[in-house]
Parts: sequence; structure tokens; C-alpha cells
Amino acid sequence: MIPIIIIAVWEFFAIQANNPALLPRVGDVISHLIHPFTDLLNTGSFVRHICVSASRVVLGFILAALVGIPLGLLVGRYLLFHRLFSPIIEILRPLCPIAWIPFAMAIFKTYTIADIFGAHYTTNIFGHIQLGMLYVIFYGGFFPIFLNTVHGVKSVKHIYIESALLLGADQKRLFRKVIFPSSLPAILTGLKVGLGISWMVIIAAEMLPGSDAGIGYLIMFSYELAEMDILIASMILIGAIGALLSYTVKIITDRTSEWQAKER
Amino acid sequence: MSFLRVNDVNKVYHGERKEEVIALADMSFDCEDRELLFIVGPTGCGKTTLLRLIAGLEKPTSGKIILDNKIVDGLSHETTLVFQQYSLFPWTNVLNNVSFSLEMKNIPRKVRHEKAKHYIDLVGLTGFEKAYPYELSGGMQQRVAIARALAHDPRLLLLDEPFGALDERTRHRLQAELLAIWQENKKTVIFVTHNIDEAIFLASRILIMRDRPGRIDDDINVNLPRPRDRRSEDFVKIHIKIREILEQILTVNNQGGEQ
Repeated sequence: MIPIIIIAVWEFFAIQANNPALLPRVGDVISHLIHPFTDLLNTGSFVRHICVSASRVVLGFILAALVGIPLGLLVGRYLLFHRLFSPIIEILRPLCPIAWIPFAMAIFKTYTIADIFGAHYTTNIFGHIQLGMLYVIFYGGFFPIFLNTVHGVKSVKHIYIESALLLGADQKRLFRKVIFPSSLPAILTGLKVGLGISWMVIIAAEMLPGSDAGIGYLIMFSYELAEMDILIASMILIGAIGALLSYTVKIITDRTSEWQAKER
Repeated sequence: MSFLRVNDVNKVYHGERKEEVIALADMSFDCEDRELLFIVGPTGCGKTTLLRLIAGLEKPTSGKIILDNKIVDGLSHETTLVFQQYSLFPWTNVLNNVSFSLEMKNIPRKVRHEKAKHYIDLVGLTGFEKAYPYELSGGMQQRVAIARALAHDPRLLLLDEPFGALDERTRHRLQAELLAIWQENKKTVIFVTHNIDEAIFLASRILIMRDRPGRIDDDINVNLPRPRDRRSEDFVKIHIKIREILEQILTVNNQGGEQ
């Protein structure tokens, strides 16, 4: 019901304004959305921009998970790691990932994954994955993953640990067979939140100078050319993809965390 | 030398304001191989602490616990403990719970699942192999916990009020099952409870503990033939005797409180 009202109000004001550079008609925006393969403003299609943004997010997010989960397990379990890492994490945590963007641009310039492998003028997807962008996505995704993992490990019930030890578990298998499965629901929550944040951060990162592709870049570029219909269509796509991402994670989470929801 | 010897064991905890709390004082008793020893006493007398010490989860402040001629110093494969609270791993099913200890011993999957099924049958849960703990009633969960402990095949099985949270009917059924399992497998079992009836129904010997500080007050051999009749004269006699001892302990406590 509410979306219909919003669209009706939008259409009403669009007709009143009669200025596509201010507020486009609903139909114009929809026609962009149903033609996702059409080239836009000589920058490529929606599909291409989304692929660029998504590959940046996926890669940065995987890095964040690969570092965040093991580190979280160690910090949650061992006091030594806790003492070692928690001061620096407490300082870095309140720092918004966006605040890192200028720093990341200064350090990493416009180097891409392709540059690392020596392919400087490639047009494939790796030529669009800038190290600076990866860094800020990593940063944005890392904290929710890490902190939820720590929390998950710390909330493993003592009775499960003692039971496992009484049944002959050594430290290695205590980790693999008790601490990890017991914290898995919390880890998945961290991944869900982390993925959401990564998706927000990449859009912001792509709007900044030095960006050459991606859905955030498209928004900024269409703003500069006063192409409001493309701008709004991009925003709708960002929202839809974000919702799709969290829905996918939710399906996985619900299946693996069923025991926790039903535990008495 | 007996199978288990608890020798002059003291356990002192330090409270929040560094004050000393004596949980167990000069505790000494023996337990023979294949005995079904019960420990009965008022709440907070240190029964659970005693089991944790025997299991090696904690260390005595002084004194020694000797199991099969070896001093207990940490966890041992000879001993396992079933907790009063639900302790099954909630993220996996009954079969995996029961075969956990076998997995820790690197027994191949097929063999350990067969063995686990045997113990699941033993506690009367055939058909529930794929069920998750949250799908089971409290009584069924404790049966799985006992099956899981039995699958570990310990020589000494410690039970900390495993039927404490169950209703009387379920409790009686599980007592009968436990008795059958003990008669068949002949393990040494130390069972902690505050239920006198449970103790007399199952025990070959009952130790009565006194609290503040926890220590042994009485040692009663139960020589009634099995299966025991709860309404028989001898059963009732022992019941009254133990009740009187416990009441006397509580009276002393109350007087102590008034001073």
C-alpha cells in the first residue's frame, strides 16, 4: 500500500514540476529498469555497473570474513589475544569506514587487482577492483563480523565446554566441534550485518573522485549530467540488491541457526 | 586398595570479598569397584563440588583423590559426569551427541554410529537418532545425556542429580532403566541426589553429607533385594532413618543460625 502512495505522490509532483532534470516521471525510471542491458551515458549498462560494484563488495567482504572470523575466534577464546587486540580495536571501531576513503586513495592511488598481476590496461573486471575500495569494504565488513564472532565465542555455555572435555575432547577439537558450531549463529549475524555495511560503503566509495565504474559512480555521473531518471533507477537498484543480499543470508542463517531459535 | 579413595579432601573457595568459603572439609571415603554409591545431603552441602573434584574438573585445596591407584589430576578417560542441567549439544542431533566421545577417539563414522545406536536403544530412544535436543522432552534429553556418557565407556560414571528436573513418573521410569543398565554393564556409579526415595531404590550404599562445611555424616549399606519395593517395611525403615538424620542436620543448622 505505502509504495503505491509514494509512487502516486511522486508521479503527481513529477507532472506538476514538468522538469525531468528535477523529478522524472515514474514511467521513465521504470523503462530504464526493464532495460538493464542498455548502455547509459556511454558508461555501460546497469548490469555492468552492478557487476563491478558486486565484485568489489564480494572480494572485500570475503577478505573481511577470512580475517574477522578466525581473529574473532581467537580473541573470544584466549585472554592473550583479547589483551593484544582489544585496545587497538576499540580505537579503530568508532572510525567510520568512509573516513578512510581519502587515506586509502592516498596510499593505494588508483591501483587495481589487475595492476598487482601486471595487467595494467585490461578491461576485465579486475581492472575495476581498486585496492583502496577493497580496503574500505574490508574495513566496513570486518568489525561486525569480528565483534559478533567474539560475542558468539564468549557466550558458548560453559556446560558444553565441560561436557566436551569430559567426553575426551582436546583443545583443537573443542574448537572445531563445540566452540565453532555453538558460535555459528552469532557469526552468521555478523556476516549479515557486515555484508549490509559493505554494500553501503561501496556506494559511497564509488561516488568519490578516481572512480570509473560501479553503481555509485553511475549515480554521481548521472547527477552531474542532470539525468535524474537514471539516478533514481540506480537508487532503486541499490535498495533492491541490498534487500536481496540480506534475504539470501537470512535463508542460510535460519537453516543453520534453527537450533538456537528453538533452544529452551 | 579400593577403586576410588577420597582421602582427607578439603576444598576452599574464595568469595567476592576474598572471604574463605569451605565447601568440603576433611572428606574421606572409599568406593569399591562396581558399587552404586549414592550421596545424599541438604542443598549446598558440596555434593556437586565433590563430583567435580572426582571428575577432575577442579582440584582439591588439600588432600588426594585416588582412582584405580592413580591420583586424579585433571580430566581422565576413566571418568565422566552427567550434569543436572541439560548439557546436550543443541546444534546437532541425538546420534551425533551420543557418538561425540567416539568421534574424539577417532573411531570411523560407521562404527561409531552403530555403537551410538546401541546406547540409544539402551535408553529406549530408538527412532530418535535424527531428532535435535530441542525436539525432546526433559526426560528424553537426560536419557540421551546418559547414553552419551555410557558411549564414552567410562569405568566411573558420575551422575549429578540427573533426574532432578523431571516429574515423578518419568523419574521412576528412568531409575528403573538406570538400574537395568548398571546391572548389565556393572560400572561404578556415584549418584548425587537430594531425593531419599531415589537413593534407597537404587543404591548399594548411601553416604549422607552434612553442610557448612560439607563433610560425611553417615554411611549406610543398603542390602535390600532388587527390584526394590518402595512400600516394603525395610524400605520404609531406611527411609525414616535417613529422613531423621537429615532433619537433625537441618535443626543443627537452624540453631547455628540463631546464635
